[in-house]
Amino acid sequence: MQVQRKAGMTAKLKQIANNPFLYVMAAPGLLFFLIFSYLPIYGITIAFKDYNFSKGITGSEWVGLKNFDYFFTSDDFWIVLRNTLGLNLLFILFTTVTAVLIALMFNEIRNKYFKRISQSLIFLPYFMSWIVVGMIVQSLFGGEEPMINHWLSGLGMEPVNWMFEAKLWPAILTVIRVWQGAGYLSIIFLAAITGIPEDLYEAARIDGASKLQIMLRITLPLLVPTIMIMTLLSVGKIFNGDFAMIYAIIGDNSLLYPTTDVIDTFVFRSMRQLHDFGMSSAVGLFQSVMGLVFVLAANAVTRRLSKESALF
Amino acid sequence: MKQKQSTSDHVFTGTAYTFLALFTLFCLFPFLLMVIGSFTDEGELIAHGYTLFPSKLSLAAYEAVLQSDVLYNGYAITIFVTLVGTLSALCISAMLAYSLANKRNVLQTPFLLFCYLPMLFSGGIIPFYIVVSQWLNLQNTVWVLILTLLCQPFLVFLLVSFFRTIPEELEEAARIDGANEMRIFFQIMVPISKPILASVGLFYALNYWNDWFMGLMFVDNEKLFPLQLILRRMVSNMEAAKNLIPSGAAISVTPPTYGVRMATTVLTIGPIILLYPMLQKYFVKGLTVGAVKG
Repeated sequence: MQVQRKAGMTAKLKQIANNPFLYVMAAPGLLFFLIFSYLPIYGITIAFKDYNFSKGITGSEWVGLKNFDYFFTSDDFWIVLRNTLGLNLLFILFTTVTAVLIALMFNEIRNKYFKRISQSLIFLPYFMSWIVVGMIVQSLFGGEEPMINHWLSGLGMEPVNWMFEAKLWPAILTVIRVWQGAGYLSIIFLAAITGIPEDLYEAARIDGASKLQIMLRITLPLLVPTIMIMTLLSVGKIFNGDFAMIYAIIGDNSLLYPTTDVIDTFVFRSMRQLHDFGMSSAVGLFQSVMGLVFVLAANAVTRRLSKESALF
Repeated sequence: MKQKQSTSDHVFTGTAYTFLALFTLFCLFPFLLMVIGSFTDEGELIAHGYTLFPSKLSLAAYEAVLQSDVLYNGYAITIFVTLVGTLSALCISAMLAYSLANKRNVLQTPFLLFCYLPMLFSGGIIPFYIVVSQWLNLQNTVWVLILTLLCQPFLVFLLVSFFRTIPEELEEAARIDGANEMRIFFQIMVPISKPILASVGLFYALNYWNDWFMGLMFVDNEKLFPLQLILRRMVSNMEAAKNLIPSGAAISVTPPTYGVRMATTVLTIGPIILLYPMLQKYFVKGLTVGAVKG
């Protein structure tokens, strides 16, 4: 048994020696993952230590679960967890519904120019950095006299102090998310619709079905598997708050934290402002573990629905 | 009967056009606001805020911004990072993907696992921060902006799935002629993979152009600020826009801070808009390849 394995090993080594370029070519990429993904995974031990800059990761003292205790018993924990899951659910729900609608409507449109121009413009926001989005939001809602208030007063409504009203922001963020992400998702749905066999439509037309009936009875049902899969993939990432989005838009406006602070922004702040490395990496570890559980669960469900769509 | 059906179909098609036209306007609106705002007279911006129909136009904001060293410097950093980053990232990812997709690679399974795990589990930003700033000492260098984004597992796997579709006979012929893997890769694989390489390259380029997180984490030195960070400073801080206006510039008494914010935003997204037709084409291609797997 051992001899056999040894023989297998030498055969492998021989093959590697015969064909070294395959491994040389992979080396830079593998090195990247080793340094920027695997070293930080080793660094997770900080979550169980009293991290001290001068002593480093290996030298700091072990403190067991103290870092976790501190976070899980604080009020922040529930707020941040609720915001992360709640905002992500809102984003998933509204982006998916809008994207499905867009894809279904595009399927009805025959004017080539309208289609092309409209598709380009709907996809455009996806290419903007969140900083640019943050600047737009600031221009609309920020300042002493927000532009939105000019419009509200034009409609005879009371001005709103947007930057103070935390309860408005889940809705605002959802609108922004739909603006930014629905076009992107609709392209995937539209590709799935294009894959629906034409003879199904022809048969329906011969039977005298109306366009609405065709959409509801053929296009939509055949789109459902793709919708399910895209949704499951997003649900798998539900524990990851969108740091770039939230931080670029909300920034350090603490008045809005009650409804907008997510795990990722909380961790970033604990690190930057409180310099509490132990606690923030404990929170990060909690998030990574929950994220892994959800991805695996989502993947298992996807696998049952459609094998080739599963990630692994 | 027939007549009735076609009326309902007309209504339905009309609804589709209306819905899409409205959503398109919704997507376009912030861009219009931004571009028009950057050309609006500062006095009007102060009095009425950003509007779609300004009564007085002005080029003052651009005149101010285009004299600013800060902005030129930001452009230089961003362009350097995007060019060097995209080329290196593309090279590294394509070579890695070729090795991962190759049946002759006896370490294929361990290599694949090694690249897959980072998609599922991460150490979080704190250990990442410590590794980059304490162990590698990369903070406040331009390299930190390039190195940290060099390889994205998702894009590597996109390339892997493409390389797997290339018929083996192509390589066999070259191999019989005595070509080694390196030559096969550069002389056979790269030329026939151009469209997918373009897609992946654009994904990387957009990533580099739009990134500000790495800068936020690791760069304090304002001389190394990429465009996005310069813009970020202006989002919440009105005064920051004034930093962009050179003190010696012969501009009216009130510095056009509102206009400058919009002009800088327009200049930041300018290259993306200019390249957009190409970007869109290759993105859709990459997306629909990617949608099949992951």
